[in-house]
Amino acid sequence: MQPVYDPRGVVRADERPLSPRVKSLDGLRLAILDNTKWNANKLLRALRERLEERHQFASVSYYRKESFSRFAAPALIERIRAENDVALTAVGD
Amino acid sequence: MSAQIAADAPWVASLPEGTDLVEWYFERGFTDGLPVVPPTPERIEAMVAALGGDPEKVECRVPPRWGALTRHVLAVNMVMAGCKPEYAPVVRAAMLALCEPAFNLNGVQATTHVACPLLVANGPIARGIGMNGGCNAFGSGNRANATIGRAIRLILLNVGGGWPGDLDKSTLGHPGKYTYAVCENEPASPFAPYHVEKGFSAEDSTVFVMAAEAPHSVTNHVANDPQGILDSVCSAMSTIAHNNAVSSGHCAVVLGPEHAAAIARHGWTRHDIRSYLWMYSGNKFREIAFDHRYGKVYNRNLPVWYRRDPDSRIPIVPSSDNIHLFVIGGEAGRFSAFIPGWGHMSSPVLREIEGGAGPAQVGPRCVDGTCYL
Repeated sequence: MQPVYDPRGVVRADERPLSPRVKSLDGLRLAILDNTKWNANKLLRALRERLEERHQFASVSYYRKESFSRFAAPALIERIRAENDVALTAVGD
Repeated sequence: MSAQIAADAPWVASLPEGTDLVEWYFERGFTDGLPVVPPTPERIEAMVAALGGDPEKVECRVPPRWGALTRHVLAVNMVMAGCKPEYAPVVRAAMLALCEPAFNLNGVQATTHVACPLLVANGPIARGIGMNGGCNAFGSGNRANATIGRAIRLILLNVGGGWPGDLDKSTLGHPGKYTYAVCENEPASPFAPYHVEKGFSAEDSTVFVMAAEAPHSVTNHVANDPQGILDSVCSAMSTIAHNNAVSSGHCAVVLGPEHAAAIARHGWTRHDIRSYLWMYSGNKFREIAFDHRYGKVYNRNLPVWYRRDPDSRIPIVPSSDNIHLFVIGGEAGRFSAFIPGWGHMSSPVLREIEGGAGPAQVGPRCVDGTCYL
C-alpha cells in the first residue's frame, strides 16, 4: 500500500447565524459603508437616492473603510452596529 | 456563540501498490497544474525535522481559506514542490512574512489584479542552499528558486484556498504565480546588500516579500553614468498602466550587475539611486485623471497630500523608501528591471530567516556612506 496526504490543512471557524431579516425599512436607521473602491461612492449615492424615494429612514449615516482591500476596523463595525439598524455596502470596482 | 467547526480534516489514505500517485494528486486538485512529487513518510519526516520537529505546531493560518499551516502540512507541500529539506527555513520564513497582517495576503490572494508574492532572499542561507541571484535569476534552471517559489504557491493554493476562479479572482495572473523566488546577487553587487540597508547585519539571512507584478525589462546599452541608466528605469516607472501609478504603494527596482557597477563607479549609493528614481519618475495628474474626460477624478488611492492640479507631478510611490532596490542578474548584459507592486493595499515585509542578531542597532546606522536616523 502507498500512503497519500491531504495538503490543505484544517480550517477552524466560529459558526455565526445571520441577523434576523427586517420586514420593512421605514423608520430604521440606515448605515452606508463605502469601501473606497473606485466607483463605490457613486454606486452607493445612486442607491441611497433610490432607497430614500421609497422609504422613510429615521437617519442615514455614511461611513468609510480605511482601505477597500482590508477588513473594516472592528471599532468601525462596532460604531455602525451601535448607530444603525441596517447597513448597505457595495464594491463598485 | 456556537461551537467551533472544523472543516476538511486532514487525512492519510492508503492506495494499492502501482497506483499512479502523480495522477491521483492531479485528480484531487492539489497541484499548481504541474506534476507534484508524491510525499512519502520518509520525505515528510525529513522535512519536518528540518523545520524543527513538532509536526502539529501551527506556524500560521493562510488566507483567504484560513487553513492551518502546521509543520506537517508545510512539509507535505514542500515535498510536493520538490524542495530539499535545507530549503525549509526559507519557505517557513516566507510564509510567516506573508501572513503578517501588514502584507494583507487575504487581499493579495483574492484581488482581480495580477499581483502575487515576490520573494527576494538575502544573506548566507540563500547562497548556502544554492539560490540563484545571477544569470537568468527570474527564469528557469535552479532547483532552489524554482521549488521554494513553487512550495509557497502550493501552500497559497492548498492551504490558502487561492484557486483561480474560486477565491483567486485575478483577471490575468502572471507567470510568477508558478514560482517567483530569487536572491540578491550580493557577490556581484558594489553596494551593501538590501537587508543591510534595512538594518540587518550582512551575516543575517532574510526574506523580503512584496505583492508584485511581473518584472519589466529596462534596456540601456548607451549610458555609462548613473543619470543615463536611471533615466531608463524612470521611463519604465513613468507609465499610467501599472498599479503603482494609480494606487501608490511600494515597488522594486532590480539593477543588473553591469548597470550597478557603472553607477557605483560614480560614487553613488543606494540612497542616491532610490532618491533619483523617486525624483525623476512620475506622471502628471492630468494623465492618470484622463483630463477628467470620464468625469471629475480625485483618486482616493493616492495620498491626500498630493496636489491634484492638472499638471501636478504624481510620484510613482510616495517616498524613495518605497522603492526597494536589489542587484540581481548575470555579470554580462546592460539590463535592469522595474517590478511594480500591487498598491497601498499591501505592505512589503522583510523578515529574518533564523538566528542572528536582527535589526537591533540603536541610533544612526550608516550604509554606503549614508546615515539614517
